[in-house]
Amino acid sequence: MTETTPLSTVSLTRGISASRQWRVLPMIEIAVLVIGLLLPLVLQDYLTVYATRVLILCLFALSFDLVWGYAGIMSFGQAVFFGSAGYGVALLARDLGITSILLVLPAGLLIGFAFALLLGGFLLLGRHPASVIFVALGTLTGSYACDRLARGWYYLGGQNGIPSIPPMTIGSYELTEGPVYYYMAIGFLIVVYLLCRFLMRSQFGLALAGLRENEQRIAFFGYKVQHLKAIIFSLSGAIAGLAGSLYAFHEGFVWPNMLGVVISTQVVLYVLFGGSGTLIGAVIGTVVIEAVSFWLSNSYQDIWPIILGVLLLLVILFRPAGLISLLLSERERVGSFGRPGKR
Amino acid sequence: MAIFEIASFGAIVVLVVLGLGIIASMMGIFNFAQGEFVLLGAYVTYIVHTAGLPVWLGMVAAPFVVGALGFVLERLIVRRFYAAPIVAMLGTYALGLIIREIVRGLIGGLYLSVPEPVGGSVAIGGMHFSTWRLVIIVITALVMAGSYLLLARTAFGLRIRASLENPALARASGISTNAIYGATFAFGAALAGLAGALIVPVFTLFADLGIRFLIQGFVAVMVGGIGSFAGPVAGAGLIGTLSAALPWVISPVIADVAVFVLAIIFIKFRPQGLVAGKGV
Repeated sequence: MTETTPLSTVSLTRGISASRQWRVLPMIEIAVLVIGLLLPLVLQDYLTVYATRVLILCLFALSFDLVWGYAGIMSFGQAVFFGSAGYGVALLARDLGITSILLVLPAGLLIGFAFALLLGGFLLLGRHPASVIFVALGTLTGSYACDRLARGWYYLGGQNGIPSIPPMTIGSYELTEGPVYYYMAIGFLIVVYLLCRFLMRSQFGLALAGLRENEQRIAFFGYKVQHLKAIIFSLSGAIAGLAGSLYAFHEGFVWPNMLGVVISTQVVLYVLFGGSGTLIGAVIGTVVIEAVSFWLSNSYQDIWPIILGVLLLLVILFRPAGLISLLLSERERVGSFGRPGKR
Repeated sequence: MAIFEIASFGAIVVLVVLGLGIIASMMGIFNFAQGEFVLLGAYVTYIVHTAGLPVWLGMVAAPFVVGALGFVLERLIVRRFYAAPIVAMLGTYALGLIIREIVRGLIGGLYLSVPEPVGGSVAIGGMHFSTWRLVIIVITALVMAGSYLLLARTAFGLRIRASLENPALARASGISTNAIYGATFAFGAALAGLAGALIVPVFTLFADLGIRFLIQGFVAVMVGGIGSFAGPVAGAGLIGTLSAALPWVISPVIADVAVFVLAIIFIKFRPQGLVAGKGV
């Protein structure tokens, strides 16, 4: 009895000091959440519409952050899942007249998941373990191929895509762009964010982070490395699919660019800029890039992409952990998984 | 006639891929800015043309200009990436984005054409061949042979290969691997510049010229196999030939996609590529 007492106090104090150092991340998260919830009250209507689009892109960025920031899989084809789900729900609405939220969003989720499972299963599973370069190239090619096919396929509207999708409905209520859609998008973002947060702090997330840091060691621990990768890749595809279907109904049309290389690389920029490997980093990166681009696009439309490139290069060179690392210590960013004091 | 078309397109792809392949094989870096080096080569040619000077002068100048720029970029930026290939990919992607957007700003969203320095056609056996395409094929063959000789037969090539095989030993033997890497990157960039200059009369000049070639180039390098000289060339020949030949059989859109998909499947089951092994 006398021996256990000091030990337990040690672990107790350690727990307290650790929790004290751990406050920045939740604070950032809560701040972002509060700003997000209050925003439509102060914004004009057309800005709320723009902000809704940014929120949906945040959801999309989260999906890329899961594969690259956590599992270390370089996916240059995230738009395949985003766009295919967008096209899928657009076809449901156009040809079958299905616009109920209870059907289209699960459908988008499933389409994204299925495409990711197919592409990821092909690229990641198999006898030869896939190299990072191969996965990057394979996903990039997939994105390019889907873009080309959608452009050439008359049923999908060719170059013009599918215009004037009817709005999404709940019962007989039509969800059109504006504050209602905004709050729905932020609701989905919060739910998905919390799910990802939970998942990434579980044993599964720990194994994924290990995969990113040292794949071989995780394999030696007895994890089925390729299976883990395929699972997270498919999950991220499902999230991208959800984002894609929300995006399609919000914009009211889908076009081949949604599948293509441009959107695929844009999401890479968001996450790298904000800070990969933290979920909030993906959100912040998306918001910052989209906000600045909205602000600059009127007066400096031509040089904005150049500035974006320069900023990205600077971040990669000097702040590999992204903007978030300005606020967050390395230790908190990487995080210690499980209970404190039991590392 | 079809065979000539296919051969000339194959030659173009080989030319574009050669620089990419040399950088990827000899330095282990996947240079995502390579497509933009091609674009720059084309742009330099266009500038010289609009200045009223002969087009061929621009084509001679392009590799030197782009090579010099490649050297500067390597010294300033790319050399920081050697330790981490993925970061290199993203960093060079950012570089490419900057170059592409600057060129887009300079030319606007336009499609600009540059005339062929040698016009007309040559009649061989009753068939007419575009002279310029013949010139491209010949120059590609020359450049390929020249690069091969440079890497395989000269002292400089030996140093490049030594720096690739065992950097530590190369440094210990008094080779400045730093300078070698700089020179190799500049050489790869110069080849891309030359490619851009030569193909601009065939394609028109537009800001996204590089992207298409980038994907094609990477697929070709992977199909051929990284680490050797012959690999990327063989891959480029195969990809170029297929890309040019398939549209004669099936619809162009399907053909374009099919080549890439087939290539990815091939790489999946033979990751080492057509030509396995290292060296020249």
